[in-house]
Amino acid sequence: MGEVHVIGQIVGASGFPDHSLFCKWGIHTGGAWKVLSGLREGQTQVDNPQNHEAAFWSHPIDIHFATKGLQGWPKIHFQVWHQDQYGRNELYGYGFCHLPTSPGIHEMECSTWRPTGTFFQQVSQFFLGGGPQLKNPDLIYSGADRYKLHTIAMGKVHLRLGLILRNFDRFGIEC
Amino acid sequence: MPRFLEEEGLYVGVRPSVANRNLNKMENRLLHEPDKGRKWFGEDGRLKALPDPLKKNPSRPFMTDEQEPYLETVFRKAVMREFDYRYIDGAIDGTGRYQLDADINSIVFSHHHLFSREHVLATRLTDLYQDYLARKKKNMTEFLIEKVHILPIITLCCQKFLFKLHCFCRHTRTVKDKEEEMDRQLLKNIIHTWKELKSIREFQNYNNTPIKLQVIKEETSKKEDQLHWKQEIEEEVGELQEDFEENYRKELERYKEDLDRYEKQQAAKAQEKKKKKIKEKEMSAADRELLNEEDLLQPVMPETFDVKLTREKVKAKAMAIRRRPGEPKLFPELSNTATITPTNQCPRGEQQRRDDVSKTKVFVKILFNDKEVSRTPSKPLSQDFRVTFGQIYNLKIVQWPESIKFQIFEARALGNDLLADLYAGIPDPSVTSQSVQLEEMDFSTDLKIDKTNEGVGSGVPFTFDVHGTNTMILMTTGILCSSVAWAVDSDGTPLVPPTTSIAPTNYYNAMKMMDPVAAIGASGVVDLDKLAKWFQESRLDPNDPNNADLVFMLGSKSTNVMQSRDFFRLEQLQQEFDLATDEEMAINRRFRLLTLRDNEIPEFKNYKMAPAYERELPRDLFMEYERKQREEERIKETEDIEAHRAAVNRFMQRVREQVMRRFRLAQHQKRLEDVVIEEVVPNIGIVFTRLLHFGEPRRPLRPIRKERKKVTATAVRGEQVKILLNIIRASSIPIRKSAAGCLLYWHQGRAKSLSKVSKSVGSSFDNQEQILLFQPLVRPYIEVMFQRNTVRTSVGDGPNPSFNEELELPLKVTNDDYSSNNLQSMNDIVYINLFDEMVVDMSHDDREKGTVVHQKLEKKWLGSLEIPFSTIYLNTKIDGTFRVNTPPVLLGYVYEDAMKRSDLESVLTKTEHNTYISMFLTIEPQLITPEPVRERFSTNEDEKLLLHAEKWQQELTNKHPKRLYKPSVIDVNGKSVFVTRYFKPLNIPDDIKDLNLTTEGTAERVAHYVSMIPFVSDTVVFPGLCDIWSTCDQFLRMLAGDEEEHAVLLMNYFLHLGKRAYLLIGSAIPEGPTAYVLTEEGSDFWFWNASTGEHFSYHDSNCPVQVVGCIMNQDNVWGNIQSYEKPVQMDFNIANTSAWRPIFSRSYPSPMLGSIQPEMLQYVATDKKHAEDLQERIEQHLKNKIMDWRSRTLTRWNRHCTKIMRKLLPILEESRGQEISQHHLEELEKQFSAYKVSGFPMNMPFVDLEKLVEAVFSTGVHTQESAEEFALAVYIHAYNNSVLSVWIYVASLTK
Repeated sequence: MGEVHVIGQIVGASGFPDHSLFCKWGIHTGGAWKVLSGLREGQTQVDNPQNHEAAFWSHPIDIHFATKGLQGWPKIHFQVWHQDQYGRNELYGYGFCHLPTSPGIHEMECSTWRPTGTFFQQVSQFFLGGGPQLKNPDLIYSGADRYKLHTIAMGKVHLRLGLILRNFDRFGIEC
Repeated sequence: MPRFLEEEGLYVGVRPSVANRNLNKMENRLLHEPDKGRKWFGEDGRLKALPDPLKKNPSRPFMTDEQEPYLETVFRKAVMREFDYRYIDGAIDGTGRYQLDADINSIVFSHHHLFSREHVLATRLTDLYQDYLARKKKNMTEFLIEKVHILPIITLCCQKFLFKLHCFCRHTRTVKDKEEEMDRQLLKNIIHTWKELKSIREFQNYNNTPIKLQVIKEETSKKEDQLHWKQEIEEEVGELQEDFEENYRKELERYKEDLDRYEKQQAAKAQEKKKKKIKEKEMSAADRELLNEEDLLQPVMPETFDVKLTREKVKAKAMAIRRRPGEPKLFPELSNTATITPTNQCPRGEQQRRDDVSKTKVFVKILFNDKEVSRTPSKPLSQDFRVTFGQIYNLKIVQWPESIKFQIFEARALGNDLLADLYAGIPDPSVTSQSVQLEEMDFSTDLKIDKTNEGVGSGVPFTFDVHGTNTMILMTTGILCSSVAWAVDSDGTPLVPPTTSIAPTNYYNAMKMMDPVAAIGASGVVDLDKLAKWFQESRLDPNDPNNADLVFMLGSKSTNVMQSRDFFRLEQLQQEFDLATDEEMAINRRFRLLTLRDNEIPEFKNYKMAPAYERELPRDLFMEYERKQREEERIKETEDIEAHRAAVNRFMQRVREQVMRRFRLAQHQKRLEDVVIEEVVPNIGIVFTRLLHFGEPRRPLRPIRKERKKVTATAVRGEQVKILLNIIRASSIPIRKSAAGCLLYWHQGRAKSLSKVSKSVGSSFDNQEQILLFQPLVRPYIEVMFQRNTVRTSVGDGPNPSFNEELELPLKVTNDDYSSNNLQSMNDIVYINLFDEMVVDMSHDDREKGTVVHQKLEKKWLGSLEIPFSTIYLNTKIDGTFRVNTPPVLLGYVYEDAMKRSDLESVLTKTEHNTYISMFLTIEPQLITPEPVRERFSTNEDEKLLLHAEKWQQELTNKHPKRLYKPSVIDVNGKSVFVTRYFKPLNIPDDIKDLNLTTEGTAERVAHYVSMIPFVSDTVVFPGLCDIWSTCDQFLRMLAGDEEEHAVLLMNYFLHLGKRAYLLIGSAIPEGPTAYVLTEEGSDFWFWNASTGEHFSYHDSNCPVQVVGCIMNQDNVWGNIQSYEKPVQMDFNIANTSAWRPIFSRSYPSPMLGSIQPEMLQYVATDKKHAEDLQERIEQHLKNKIMDWRSRTLTRWNRHCTKIMRKLLPILEESRGQEISQHHLEELEKQFSAYKVSGFPMNMPFVDLEKLVEAVFSTGVHTQESAEEFALAVYIHAYNNSVLSVWIYVASLTK
């Protein structure tokens, strides 16, 4: 019965075309994992930076897992949304990364992507905003065949996570 | 021969489009192959271009142009999304497609203002004929006739139930007669109407309607009929005779008995009279009685049966209701075969009327949620007053349907006339446009339209004949044929909103759908077996690529393989890698603790320092929780009262948890104001007023309390928080009797001395007087107890002492949790007790008198005041003068003004003896009070009504921010309910009703009953929530509630008693915002505090009501808009609109809201025996407790005294704790004369033993060291529904 305690924050995002962003996040785990306390998902505020090349959210993450196996190690996934000057929201990117497997403080970057859509959609998006979204957001972290999906790279989400692992050494897992 | 698969009914699929040129080229090339390329051609002679579905393995990987479903993307426009519960998907651009189909078929008028007289008659005739047909179909008369014939035969067969059958027979006959009469009447009416119609047609010389009545006669033979007729009459007469004879027999028997008795009496009397004459003196008492007995009436012989008369009667009846013999049977038949006279042959008036009819146009508007969404084209009325639309209107909706309304209009030259509003029901999800049937809706209008030319008009009187008799008024009426149903799209799926969230309250689900992350969940498990079965039953075309997936999945595998797999492995090979099993995870107590803590389960909600190892957890950690869990599962009716209380508690707990669960979501939804604190930027005006303050003169003698900073829960460290009390003064404290005597003396003395003043200036009272004078009247001090901590003031002097002292009490909080949720749910009480300090001389030795002072202090309880902690917490500070609850019997003390009155009788008229304390209470540092949940609650009320109420409230609150206006409250289901729905006369408890008191007495009783229902603040029951009003039956079930529930119940009782009662919302001390009941008593107005049962007149200056916000009853709510808010200064004439602003006025009339209260309250009598048991138990428990508290000294119990007190307590309950008569007091004093008694009775509702113990402890009787003996008596008066009034009389005795 291992325990993983994740303490950290979603620092912010950079490299996006515009930086008034917010982000919806969630942690997905396999069936062997159980949340003892803390929130599994959430949404940050909208950061509206004036001069910066990045958005900062400093959104706290504090979640305590118990597990009976290593399968389905927690993945944290994101949807980065953009809020334009009219207050409308549009999708800017999807991304996910595994939680680190070693204890300690980790600075992480998570790259994001977004579906491109057809030419017409791209034109429409350029002038009117909006954009194609995944019908099934499970795809963000599920490893299905994606070779038909056309995507375009967006910016990065920055994370600073501290991990505390417990009892794994008892089962011969060194960390 | 080429085969054409498509013609054979098989699916062939769509061939890829290839240019014909290329195809020809290819075919040409293949034909040049050695075997003419045979295998490249299909059976239809064309090139094979499609995969062969019959092959097990595809020769080419199946490629579809469409994307994999899980890779699909949707283009979403960038839009602002604001959640709105009115929308089905939570937002206007919801993805769901929902459609309602409104089918407007036709309108048929059953009356119209352009109806001619003939039309009116024709309609009536049609109606009558329909009636006739319906009756005919039922054929009730025939059935009954048969029955009447059969019954006597049955009667002959079974003699057993003879009497019953006779009765039944008679009953059937009367029913039959009635039916026959109706039939005949109907027939007569039909024929009469037809005659009228005919006469009108003749009179006007043209036909307007195609109606024609034919009466078919069926000749009958007179002879047979007569026979039949006679037989029937004879039968009936015979039956009547039988009845009569039976009656007669009984009568005769009775007659004989009576006669017998009469004769005997006469004989006896005659004998007595004889005796009397002989010996008048020796007449025995019995004899005299006999003589004085009233003479029995001479019985009358019952009449015999008169066959002739009866036969005449029966005949007359038959003549009236039955077909006469020889008369032909009539069968009317209505047809539409009469020819309507062509328009050009009609007179001018009729021509015009017909013209008008065809000019009249009718259309229907369809309103969805009160917005017009579509309307039919206006269609002209046909000559038979019919309009056929026959159109289906598709309503694509995004909002939840609230109402679907049809408005029928008649188009006129200028403007349209609204004929009727019709509400169509919102269809069930199961009602789709395929299954729905047309519904007929009646409508009518009160529109008045004058008659023109030949029309009869609508809503105006008209006559049929020229003479002007028989006027009648008909309104335009008609029938609309329509239907509303959910649409079905081309695939046959109904476009119904998801049923799971069809209730608009459930917007959490909709919220979840908006957030894709939250919507992630395990997809539904597909049951393979069912799928296969369905597949076989539905016989899908296996060639169709739409079904390819299914065929592949089901067809490629043999059925037995499929059946063996009745599970689905989500994570293969997981087990091998498991570090622990599920069971191990489940039983880990540390994990359990952490999860429970995270779920905010009350027991573990703020559990600090969960240990790192399981072994460090306390062993009994979950015991309490598990026990509760188990208890909740089995709630059963128990016999015992205390057990009943426990059950009630559990019920309350359940309600509370339900409510909490419902509100938790609302609580966790933060608004911007909850997250961002924005200080209001002061505007220029404020700056100026601030500047003006500098110029103000300082008034050091009139200190004002400064505003303090609020401290958040996290900033508070333990032990820092205190309750601050500033006790300023007390007034009219009762004084000791011993001292009172000399006061009286002094008063007289002073009067004397005043008269003597001129004579002997400077001369003083003599020595004796002086000693008496300096004996203190009373030495009061105030002790405050909270959570068993006690502080006290110094001793004041006299009956009106001034203390001016500041006291501090530490606040102990469970788990050191200063969050508002926890603080709110504390139900500790601050006890403020008024004591008299007695100095008792201890030195018995006369020799030491000069040198040694040996005194002992003793305290005597004079009264107390209880303020719940929640009140202090929620009001942040309590300031004012409070009435002290004094016991009805306080031995050894007397009121000063009572003394004075005996002296100067003329001055005072009031008899009330009330002691008051002025003080100020607060919590230091000031803690943040919980903000009420401001979320808009879902509601079943009319949107318009709520808006109106909100506007009303807003307007008044802006004008008078201090006053409370409350048009709607929240019920236990978490819904806003308009407040007037709470008021309704409700039956008072049965045991009070049985007392048969006067109205006033009953009112007092009822108030006492209500006050004996325990008081629990809403914040304790429902922490963190705003006020929740439960209905009276819920209140009586929970047996706990706060001011509102008490007040509502009391008010409903008063309404039942026929009083004019209102509920008053306002502020009072010490409760803060509260509810009182206001009753009109002649010219006076009384305020009833429902939780204490007391009442005050409105011109009582000590009335606790400080601010009157609004008053309400079942019809209306009136807001106080007077410049004063204290009751004394107010005008209580609610008709005065300059003083009271009602919600419902002429501009917005009351919609007559129904009540949410039950029809009747159910009362269960409380078992007296259990009450007695409990009484004994309490007494024993309290005695033990007192002995515990006095563990250092021996406690003796005086039995004699207890007995007296036991006798007294029921009397006190009878008088409801008010002053008992002097007589009783004297008696009591006489009986106690052997002792010096210091003690008092207390009355309180029964909650649990702990509360009682606490109350006894706070009086401090046990601390009297000098007492030699104690006495304690408990009396419980059990009212209905186990409302218990507990009286405790505790006293200490000294010889």
